[in-house]
Amino acid sequence: MTGVDTTPSTPASGAEDRTPLVVVDDLCKVFPVADRAKIHAVEHVSLQVDRGETLAVVGESGCGKSTLAHLIIRLLDPTGGRIVLDGADITDLSARAMRPHRQKMQIVFQDPFASLDPRRTVGRAVGEPLRVHKVASGNELEERVANLFERVGLERQHARQFPHQFSGGQRQRICIARALALEPELVIADEAVSALDVSIQAQVINLMMDLQAEMGLSYLFISHDLAVVERISHRVAVMYLGQIVELGPRSAIFENPQHSYTKRLLEAVPIADPRRRHHRPLLTDEIPSPRWGPGEAPERVELAEVEPGHFVGVEAPTG
Amino acid sequence: MANSDPPLLSVRELTVTFDAFTAVDRVSFDLHEGQTLAVVGESGSGKSVTALSIMRLVELGTRGRITGGEILFRLPDGAVIDLIQQSESVMRDMRGNNISMIFQEPLTSLNPVYTVGNQVAEAVMLHQGLDRAEAMDRALEVFELVRIPEARQRLGEYPHQLSGGMRQRVMIAMALSCDPTVLIADEPTTALDVTIQAQILGLMRELQNETNAAVIIITHDMGVVAEVADDVVVMNQSRVVEQGSVYDIFERPAEPYTRALLASVPQLGSMAGRDEPARFDLVGEA
Repeated sequence: MTGVDTTPSTPASGAEDRTPLVVVDDLCKVFPVADRAKIHAVEHVSLQVDRGETLAVVGESGCGKSTLAHLIIRLLDPTGGRIVLDGADITDLSARAMRPHRQKMQIVFQDPFASLDPRRTVGRAVGEPLRVHKVASGNELEERVANLFERVGLERQHARQFPHQFSGGQRQRICIARALALEPELVIADEAVSALDVSIQAQVINLMMDLQAEMGLSYLFISHDLAVVERISHRVAVMYLGQIVELGPRSAIFENPQHSYTKRLLEAVPIADPRRRHHRPLLTDEIPSPRWGPGEAPERVELAEVEPGHFVGVEAPTG
Repeated sequence: MANSDPPLLSVRELTVTFDAFTAVDRVSFDLHEGQTLAVVGESGSGKSVTALSIMRLVELGTRGRITGGEILFRLPDGAVIDLIQQSESVMRDMRGNNISMIFQEPLTSLNPVYTVGNQVAEAVMLHQGLDRAEAMDRALEVFELVRIPEARQRLGEYPHQLSGGMRQRVMIAMALSCDPTVLIADEPTTALDVTIQAQILGLMRELQNETNAAVIIITHDMGVVAEVADDVVVMNQSRVVEQGSVYDIFERPAEPYTRALLASVPQLGSMAGRDEPARFDLVGEA
């Protein structure tokens, strides 16, 4: 293991499977761009997702959180590092060899309209993974699709309708139903509730939590919204310029943040309470770019464990 | 600000229809000098159509029609006019000079082939009849007002060379360039990252202290409302559900809709001391 071991230091006990569902070790993704420059999108990221837990990855535009999600689900090939899913190293598997592993992890994207074919019924969309993986057909397929609709709070008759007949929140429920069709163990939610109105967002988050309780799902919850993350996650990783700068239990990150970037991020969140109004200094800092010129490379952030399970990037003293 | 002053802007029973659909239904509120009024609501509540109607932009390029009500605006000389009754040429003169607007996505509001300095200067030349050199001086002045670093150099840059936050500063600079008395900001920070959003909200508050402009901020984000608003208008399904001071709305919401909206807002810090994630306690959920 080349990265820092960010395994939570809880001892294994009981009969249930305590091995992590996903282990990401020293994962890197570099995109070559014009003028021999490179985008270091994901830099030496190590983390794990435990069974039944929600690990949130937070950060601002360009921090690499979505690239990380796409690497884990193998939509992109990493330039370095390993991805282990349920004990199997899937880093270098071909598309065909990935197939059995794909059933174990599914992804839900931000825009449910772009994720559904407007000319097909939503029942067809939800049943598609079952057909592709030859899990079910005929009446059994229909029955399973109907059950999935009910499971996400829709009605079985909805399966015969088309995407434009649904609201944004309903469409996202349909995408969740499709993600659940193969009974995955991991669902990656890539800004899955970000485009929804706040009352609908709360309902979809409640649905995700209910499904987790019922099915023992793990979530990798990619988000820029810290208030949502505080609500839904067990553990949180904060990313900045492709690297994890802080990782730990939810309470450690939100109640005892240590890294300067985590603190800055938390202080920036507008709070829906006029008595807690911030007095903000007039800053003009910009979010730095992960683009590096020829011969340049980002400095690696070393993580130190400050309390059990709480890892913080070591910062150079400012001055 | 004392609310006994005559309002700067008074929207009364405003009704806007799109064919058979009523997008804004008898909406009324007042805006006073130096006040920040937030109009908050979810998608389709009518908040943006209300803003576009005040600018009289709703009839340009959309099928929207203002079918009722008044939009009374107090001019600097004290005369009060109904914006709904004004001709397009009068409105063209009002926009920018008296009322200006900033939008959510600064990239689509800026012309990609002109430098940002030119675009701000053009607005000033058009509205205030300054020559090019004077207009460029004014552009530099407002760039410095909105704290754009290296303002003189930035005047000569194109929109694509600026970050999202800097582009929104340019839009605010342009909106303030003719000293309007009313600034309407439609989701001004929605497309921005949270640390940049914090900067822009801080800037808007500071500018209001410096310029004493009245601000209407259109937003879906109750966090943004709590940070900047003096008073709040809550809209749902084309109507005003409730209005009051920011403290009334957050601490003593009278209407079930307002209470339901607030209950679904994730509050940073609300989970302190709890180890496990927690569902939202939603009204009327099974």
